[in-house]
Amino acid sequence: MTGSVGLSVLTAAGGLTLADGPSELPSIDDFLPPEILFQGTPFAMNRIILIRAIMTVVLLLVFGITAKRAKLIPGRWQGFVEWMIEFVEYNVVYSTMGELRGKRYVPMCCTIFFTALCFNLCGVIPGFNIAATATIAMPLMFALWTLVQYWRSGIRSNGGLGKYLKKELFPAGVPWPVYILLSPIKFLEIAVIQPGALTLRLFANMVSGHLTLATALVMTDWYIIQVHNAAMMPVGILWFLFGFLMTAFEIFIAALQAFIFSVLTAVYINSSYPEDE
Amino acid sequence: MDLTTLAEVAGNLSVIGYGLAAIGPGIGLGIMFGKAMESTARQPELSNKLNTIMYIGLAIIEVLALLGFVAFIMKS
Amino acid sequence: MTTLADGNGIDLFIPKTYDIFWSFIILVILAVFFYKFFLPRFQKIFDERAEKIQGGMDKAAAAEKEAEEAKKKYEDQLTQARVQASKIRDDARAEASHIIADARSRAESEAAQISANAQRSIESEQQQALVSLKGQVGTISVALAGKILGKELKSDAVQSDMIDSVLGDLEDESKED
Repeated sequence: MTGSVGLSVLTAAGGLTLADGPSELPSIDDFLPPEILFQGTPFAMNRIILIRAIMTVVLLLVFGITAKRAKLIPGRWQGFVEWMIEFVEYNVVYSTMGELRGKRYVPMCCTIFFTALCFNLCGVIPGFNIAATATIAMPLMFALWTLVQYWRSGIRSNGGLGKYLKKELFPAGVPWPVYILLSPIKFLEIAVIQPGALTLRLFANMVSGHLTLATALVMTDWYIIQVHNAAMMPVGILWFLFGFLMTAFEIFIAALQAFIFSVLTAVYINSSYPEDE
Repeated sequence: MDLTTLAEVAGNLSVIGYGLAAIGPGIGLGIMFGKAMESTARQPELSNKLNTIMYIGLAIIEVLALLGFVAFIMKS
Repeated sequence: MTTLADGNGIDLFIPKTYDIFWSFIILVILAVFFYKFFLPRFQKIFDERAEKIQGGMDKAAAAEKEAEEAKKKYEDQLTQARVQASKIRDDARAEASHIIADARSRAESEAAQISANAQRSIESEQQQALVSLKGQVGTISVALAGKILGKELKSDAVQSDMIDSVLGDLEDESKED
C-alpha cells in the first residue's frame, strides 16, 4: 500500500483491487505545499497563498467594479450582490444582536462573510482546486479579529476590563464554590476555545472537503483512464458521480461555513455586551 | 505486501478514533437542531433568540468533533 | 507512507510565519476595501434609493392631497353656488310677493281714496243740490205761498218764519221717509 494510509478509509471501496493504487491520492501534504516564491524569507509564498493572493485581486476587482458601477436601479449582478449584503446585514448581524448594537459590526461581518465565501469557493474552482482558507493562518486571522473585536466591545460596553471579566468569569446567581471550577473554564472559553473553534471549524471543513473531493476525482481518473479494464468502468462512473455530488456539496459547505463564521462572530460579540434585558 | 497474508486490515487507528469521536457530536447536533426546530415551531416569535442560542450550542458541540478531526490529522 | 511521516499532521495546525504575514496583509486589504469603499458605496445607494422611493411616495401623497383639496374646493363652490341660487330664488320670490302685496295695498288704498273722493264729491254735490234746492224751494214756495196767500204775507219776519217752519216740516218729513 503506497497510498495515503490515513485516507485509506476513503478508498476502501476499491481497496481490494488496488495492488498499487493511484499514486496521486490527496494527502495532508496538499496543505503544506513547498514555497515557490521568495523562499526562506518571511514573505515566502506557497501555492495556497498564491491562490489566496489571486483570489484577493479577483475579489477586489469584481466587487470594486460592482461598487464603482453601482446604480440606483440595480442590474442582475448588482441585485445579487445587494441581496448578499442585505442577507449579512439582516439575517446575520441584526437578527443576532439587533439593529442598534449591530450597526457598527456590519462591515466586519460583511468582510468576513464575503472573504470566507470567495476563499472557500476556490476549493471547487478548476485550476485552484484548494480552498484559499485551507491553511490555518487565514481562519486564524479571522478568528483573532473576532477575538479582538469581542474583547474590545466587552471592555467598552461593560465599562472596563475588570467589569467585563467579572461579567464573563463570575456570572451572577451561582454559589461561590462553583466559581473555582467555572471561572477558569469561562476564561479558557473566551480566550482560547471560541476563536480556536472558529478557526478549526473553517479549516477542518476545508481540509476534509478537499480530501474527499480530490479522492473522488483521483479515483475516477484511476478507474476510467489508468486501469485499462472495462469491468471497472462502472466503479469509475460511480466515483465520478460521487465527485460530482461532492462538488455541489462543497459549494454548499463553502456558503454554509462563511455564514456560520459570520453568525458566530456576531453571536460572540453580542454575548460580550452586558445583559440588559 | 506479503503474499502469505490473506486478509489485511490496512489503515490507521486514528481513523477509527475519529469515527468514534464523531458519534457523540453527531447525536448532540441532531438533538440540538431537532429541539431548536421544535421550539421554533412552538414559538416562532422567539426564533431569533433561539437561533442565537442554537449557534452557541452548535459551536460548543462541534468543538468535540473538531478536536477528533485534529487528532485524526495529527496522528496520520 | 513516505509522504506522511508520523506526527507530520501537526504541521497543519502550526501556522507558518509567512502564512500569517500574507493572511494578515490580505485581510487588512480586504477589510479596508470593505470598510472604506464597498459598503459605504452600497449604503449610499441604498439610502438614495430609499430616499427616492420615499420622495416618490411623498409626491404621490402630495398630489393626492392636492386633488382632494381641489375636489373639496370645487364641491364647496358648488354647494355655495347652489345655496346662492336658492337664496336668490327665495329673495326673488319674497320680493315678488312683496311687490304684489305692495301693489295690492296701493291699489286698495287708491281705490278707497277714489271711492272716498267719489263719496265726498257726491256728498258735496248732494249738499250743493240740497242748498240750491233749499233756496229754490224757498223762493218757489214763497212765491207759491205769496201767490196763494196773496198780500197777507207782507212783513219779512213773518215770511221767513213761515218759510223756516215749512222747511222744517219738510225736512222732518223727508227724515221720517
